[in-house]
Amino acid sequence: MKPTRGISALVAALLLTAVPAGARIKLTALPARDRIEIQLDNGRYTLVEEERIVPLLKSTIKRGNNKVDFSWSNTQIDKNSIQFRPVGIMTGGKVRPIRKVNGQPEVAVINVSYPPNENALLWEVYAADGYAVKVRVSYLIGNLTRLFQYKAVTNKAETQLELRKYIQLHNYSGEDFGNIGVWIGYANRLLDPKSVGQQEDIKMLLYRFAKVPVRKTYTFDWYRFGALNKDKPNASKVLMHYMLTNDKANGLGIVPLEPGKVRIYIQDNRGGQAFLGEDWGKLTPIGSKMRLYVGQARDIVCKRMVEFKETKNVRGNLYNLEVRIRYEIENFKPKAARLDMIEQLNALADKFYPKGRHGDVEWVREGRTSKQIAFSYEYGGASPVLHVDLPARPGDDEKDKAGKPKPVKKTVVKFEFTIKNLWR
Amino acid sequence: MTRKAILTVLTVSALAAASPGKNIDLVTLPARQSVQLTIYNSADVTLVKETRFLTFKQGTNRLQFAWTNTLIDPTSIELRPLEHVDEIEVVSTIFPGQKPQHLIWNVDSTFSGMAKVEVSYFISGLTWQMDYVATCNPAETALTFRGYVRVFNNSGEEFDNAEIRLIVGKINLVEKIADLARRYGIATPKPGAPKYKDLRRKAARQSFDKAAEAAGKGAPMVTAPKRIVKEGLSEYFMFSVPGTETIPNGWSKRMQAIQADDVKFDIVHRVRAYQYGDWPVRFFIFTNDKDHKLGESPLPDGLVRIFRENGRDGLAFLGEQKVHYVPIKAKAEINLGADRLVVYRKRKIKTRRFNFRFRRDTNGREWVIGWDEEQTWNDEIRNYTGKPMTLELRLRFSGDVDFRSEAKTTVFDYRTVETKFTIAAGKTRAYPYSVTIHHGTNAKQTRVKLVGK
Repeated sequence: MKPTRGISALVAALLLTAVPAGARIKLTALPARDRIEIQLDNGRYTLVEEERIVPLLKSTIKRGNNKVDFSWSNTQIDKNSIQFRPVGIMTGGKVRPIRKVNGQPEVAVINVSYPPNENALLWEVYAADGYAVKVRVSYLIGNLTRLFQYKAVTNKAETQLELRKYIQLHNYSGEDFGNIGVWIGYANRLLDPKSVGQQEDIKMLLYRFAKVPVRKTYTFDWYRFGALNKDKPNASKVLMHYMLTNDKANGLGIVPLEPGKVRIYIQDNRGGQAFLGEDWGKLTPIGSKMRLYVGQARDIVCKRMVEFKETKNVRGNLYNLEVRIRYEIENFKPKAARLDMIEQLNALADKFYPKGRHGDVEWVREGRTSKQIAFSYEYGGASPVLHVDLPARPGDDEKDKAGKPKPVKKTVVKFEFTIKNLWR
Repeated sequence: MTRKAILTVLTVSALAAASPGKNIDLVTLPARQSVQLTIYNSADVTLVKETRFLTFKQGTNRLQFAWTNTLIDPTSIELRPLEHVDEIEVVSTIFPGQKPQHLIWNVDSTFSGMAKVEVSYFISGLTWQMDYVATCNPAETALTFRGYVRVFNNSGEEFDNAEIRLIVGKINLVEKIADLARRYGIATPKPGAPKYKDLRRKAARQSFDKAAEAAGKGAPMVTAPKRIVKEGLSEYFMFSVPGTETIPNGWSKRMQAIQADDVKFDIVHRVRAYQYGDWPVRFFIFTNDKDHKLGESPLPDGLVRIFRENGRDGLAFLGEQKVHYVPIKAKAEINLGADRLVVYRKRKIKTRRFNFRFRRDTNGREWVIGWDEEQTWNDEIRNYTGKPMTLELRLRFSGDVDFRSEAKTTVFDYRTVETKFTIAAGKTRAYPYSVTIHHGTNAKQTRVKLVGK
């Protein structure tokens, strides 16, 4: 600590003698911080714990108890959060536990006083004898924040990645935590950044997960992205994502993955790494999945046509809407892939029968739906996801019956359904 | 290089017993071994990788990296050992508040000696794009096809001898480099401002300077176009220019990336009034595959200019079009625009109205509220191209429409029908059809429906 800098966490051991009330005589030492731990587990509050050796005199009736003064300025410390915790007594260079003498702890905080109009407080501390006491002073501090960053490097097959989780500390608290014995605590990790100066940012590796299985997905969502371009008015973007599961079976599962930017690289063919893209990783609790948007997959082309639609009167102004959608999908990749197509049936009903639905649509699948479509409903019942497996593109030497190069297979599937009970 | 502006300094300091606050007691400026620029064209970002040899001592090593007045994304700067990987670990990266364009790495090493490391970061200011030139023979049956990559250096600075890699594909970036630079205390003006452009120039200059230093004596003499190496990476393709390249100040450099001769192609005419206008448009269509002397890589987005040999050692310009990414084995469709040698005439022969519905008002008068309208058409296609042609026709309708035709017609989507013809040279082909449009209260749907002939 550098008192001259105006960032004044000041600790003093005071001996109160028979002095007039209100006079605070600061007698002795300014024990230096031996160790500081900055605990970053909580996203909103940062806990600082300082370890100091405080000399205490034996409490007597004549002298009374020890008074320990703690004050600060230009630092946003939550006054009500400050604690003074004796953790041991120094004897011969070692720390021994605090014992009980006559049923009382050898060292105990009796009370805390808050002087008016000051960023300060005063602990009254009982000591059964004269001790050098190891104490921890802890408090919540503002403008000492953290964020998380990730670096993922996938193997060439994109089946497994190495995930590094970094923590970055921003110290704009106004306090210089010096260069000795500063530790950053997060979850079960304690990191040594060597120093934490004012207005410094410190980035440290928190975890390295060496083998994390990753699943690559391809998603088509017509209602979100619309036409690809004017030359391909029926095609839309196919987005590529990586899916990780934050559990032990998938090489993770130690801590939640907090929100942060994830930069993704891939091992290239020359032993180096190539940058694939980046995304914001969302909070991923243990057992949950992290979905990272990597970029656009342009080797899977999906065209979507509403092949048929008709309204059928049920009664009065009540109608059913019958729809058949045709998808024509080509996979130009050398590997087989599965395409996930999201159909937003609420948006579809709004387009073809505006103001006709009253809440989520009620719908049923009809018989001409292709059997090769597998359905799932992770986005809710009104937004079914249609999964279609696509074969790899044929090899250069594969020929058709006429001896011509085998073309890429166009997978055509149909989704037929009735949206029921629309009226306006 | 006309000017030297070394903006990046890498210094190594040995920490004496890891004592904090100690000044640097050993400083070296290790020479760069190589510089590699990976330029992405879907975002204003270039990944710079440089390799150096650093000498480590056992224990904690302190490395300082500094840059000035450049749009480097500080969050992207990384140090990675390429040798003794398990023995060298970057413990922390410190961004000192008082020196915004500055960082310090604390590196723990259990190894003592020299090791190769890679320093990488993102900068702004380099771009590339693709363009194509296709020249067809006089008979319009085969193309000579060339694809070129063009790297732009608008920095106002030269650079020499950098290894260049170009990424084909659309990556995702969640933040711009200039924004990140601002966040870390580097005052950068808004994009477009002269100051911003100046910063971009400086950013580019920095990498160029590194490039200039990297190869030292320059590249050997080149006697033929370099053959750009293509490799697939995930969903992307990487074009690597062999060796190193020099691009002088203010220039761009165009290098041949794709070369294919005798690329056979088909000519197709299309009528889609809603997409291309009323006149038939002509397409050259070929597949990006081995059979067409292509297929080594996807064809990145770029402008294609099509010429035709005129048989007199001269060329005719047929047209140009921006093509979008063409995957391997996919068809490249080049729109040459309206072909005045093909005529498509819509001819309405007859109109008939029937199925009237009336509403009776309180005075007993009747008012038409619904009717059907039958239109009989006999569209005509005339081929003056001098050779047989294929025409793909799509007709789009609005409202509740029943469609009949003797010609084979299918539904493309709920409001569009399509058909396909081949028409001999100099011949005319008719396309007879009729549509019944339901109006007023007779209209129950908004779709076209194929009905019997």
